[in-house]
Amino acid sequence: MIDFALDPELELLRETARSFAQHRLRPHDRDFETARGVDVATRDAFTEIGLAALEWPEALGGAGLGALARALVLEELGAADAGAALTLDPLGPAFYALAECGEAAALQAIAQPLLERPGSRAVLAWNGVARVALRNGRATGVLPWLPADRVDLLVLLDGDAVAVIDEGIALAPLRGAGLRAAGASELRLDGAPVRAWWVNPRGARRALARARLYAASLLLGVMRAAAGFSRDYALQRVAFGKPIAHHQALAFLITDMAMAVDGSRLLVHEAAVRLDRGGDAEEACATAFLEAAEQAMFVTPNAVQILGGHGFMQDYPVEKWMREARALGLCFGGVDGAREDAGRGIVAAHAPLGLLEAQP
Amino acid sequence: MNFKIDDELRKRLAGIRELGRTQIRPLGLEADRAGKPVDPDHPFYALLLKLGLGRTRWLGGELDAEQDATRSRVGSPPSGGERGHKAGPSLTGVLLSEELAYWDRGVAVSFPGPGLGEPPVLSMGTPEQKERFLARFREPDRPRWGSFAMTEPGAGSDVAAIRTSCKRDGDHWILDGDKSFAANASRADWIVVWATADTSLGRAGHRAFVVERDTPGLGDFKIEKKMGLKAYESTSFTLRHCRVPASHLLGGEATYSNQDGSRGAKRAGFKGALQSFNATRPMIGAMAVGIGRAALDEAAAFAREHDLGSDPRVRDRLERTRRKLRVARLLCWRAAWLADQQQPNIVEASMAKAHAPAAALDATLLGMELLGEVGARGDHLIEKLFRDVKAMDIVEGTGQIQHIVIARQLVGLPRE
Repeated sequence: MIDFALDPELELLRETARSFAQHRLRPHDRDFETARGVDVATRDAFTEIGLAALEWPEALGGAGLGALARALVLEELGAADAGAALTLDPLGPAFYALAECGEAAALQAIAQPLLERPGSRAVLAWNGVARVALRNGRATGVLPWLPADRVDLLVLLDGDAVAVIDEGIALAPLRGAGLRAAGASELRLDGAPVRAWWVNPRGARRALARARLYAASLLLGVMRAAAGFSRDYALQRVAFGKPIAHHQALAFLITDMAMAVDGSRLLVHEAAVRLDRGGDAEEACATAFLEAAEQAMFVTPNAVQILGGHGFMQDYPVEKWMREARALGLCFGGVDGAREDAGRGIVAAHAPLGLLEAQP
Repeated sequence: MNFKIDDELRKRLAGIRELGRTQIRPLGLEADRAGKPVDPDHPFYALLLKLGLGRTRWLGGELDAEQDATRSRVGSPPSGGERGHKAGPSLTGVLLSEELAYWDRGVAVSFPGPGLGEPPVLSMGTPEQKERFLARFREPDRPRWGSFAMTEPGAGSDVAAIRTSCKRDGDHWILDGDKSFAANASRADWIVVWATADTSLGRAGHRAFVVERDTPGLGDFKIEKKMGLKAYESTSFTLRHCRVPASHLLGGEATYSNQDGSRGAKRAGFKGALQSFNATRPMIGAMAVGIGRAALDEAAAFAREHDLGSDPRVRDRLERTRRKLRVARLLCWRAAWLADQQQPNIVEASMAKAHAPAAALDATLLGMELLGEVGARGDHLIEKLFRDVKAMDIVEGTGQIQHIVIARQLVGLPRE
């Protein structure tokens, strides 16, 4: 039956992630941004508490946890430093494409080595607009931006297929609009050999869905942080004789921001539970991503707004959260790609939101 | 965490779907065309009784104490709290409300039963009062209604501003004032009427009385003409030197006296009202979702019939509408689940109530846009839903009031 309580082990996991994020990431977010990466001690701590291999199969030495666990952890990491979260996760959403299409053998052969080399990065990219041409086992093209300064493994979602490339990857560093702690590069392929090529429509769709949920969970964390920080600021800052939070224009805005965060979270959790039950979750994940991306674009600019001039300055984190939210919403085909998948069946459906039809 | 509806509840929802398709929606359309509420003698209400509806959730007699002990702090019905297998009463109420409102929210409100009058009688009433006012709803001999009257011409959201007065006179109280927009009032056996013993005390001066239909001084029933939701009566009435037995003061005098000096006791009268609101806000939100969902289905059907399915402009707007309704539904579920867990749900209930009506209105607006001039004809279901839905953002605390309630919790927004 409908139940909003978390199992105790997931509660514990969330607390662990929150503690790590708030103590190890949040105080150093500007350092990570400048350094375009996290320090070795932080990375070691992340690996040690088991967050690097969260969804990695138990049979291969991972924790074997599911989408809900990942969503909970990513919200916490995103609330501290979404860029650091990306660089700390050696496989990131690339894991989904490998697991859904390549299965255990691919995981072992292709992904395992990355887990064993600290600092490695596998990156998932969406090739929906055919920026990379794949012909005769070779890949050629340019990806204008990836949040990485190092790419050991490029996994391309190419329609019904997944392409894996680990040679011939050329990176040119970029400043990056956001997520700079993860790095920022233009990626060029000039006839790079395709190491693996799997045609698997269902697997590819599911990988994309899981990647969207990954981004949505980070977005959720970013907007939660922005909403909470700006609310606290509004309680401290006095204007016209009272805390600005007590002027109704701001009180209502803060209320709407809190609702935006809560609503986005509910969609993320519902989609995660669907994924964990093994059901059809593409529409739910695309929907959760859309909502998170849209609401983050409402919440984070308004967080800057609430801080006024201070919000615009880099002494406060809100401008960073605004940039990171924007960048995250552009990943994996962005909101327009998600709209395609979220809305695909809606006109054909006779009860697109029926209580008896819409069962996770 | 789980978002699955259990099989028993699915069966009940399927039952409502069938009743909705065959009875509720046609009746709602008929009432809308006629511009007046469904007649109390309509055979549909007798059918509802046969189906086991139109009853009180009060268990009665010896079970009453048990019911008291298990009642949620936020005024949810009894026997919640158990996790896992079965939906608690608030969640059940939210799910059934959505499905009923999908077919016709107006008809749903006109269902016989103690209605909104039940929560205050349950939460504040003495055992004798429950027996007197609710027993008849256990196995009703015919369709019967209860009603609830707080709103006045000059006091809507600001319930502390009610002016209907009550003065003690021996074994009676004398009530004087005007009440507005009470659902099912003219057909009700009794109405829970809120009055004030001392306007200078604000909420602390409030008292709740059960006023029976034939009480002298209760009258001038006027069924209001509304924009939508015409299937149930929203009725205004007056109390003119209306003598109500002292035994009809809910909970008795002690409930309102300041004997232990605590603020809680002093404000019990008002809190009785708030409790019922707290339990119903997610239900109103769910009803809005139901109306919005009906508009979504109709809009999608229209798009199908007119080959608009491949137009991304149409598809994207339908997607957004469904997404906002889905958020609204989950907000309602969460608020109701919290009530069933006997956890505070002030913020969550207000979020559900603030969000759902806006999302549902958007659904009907989109539907009208897709229909174009067909919508302007005034004979399409979407046009009716567009008129029906607006009330959802007004009843049980407007969207603006919900924002104030949430802001008080989030940033301590002062009352002044």
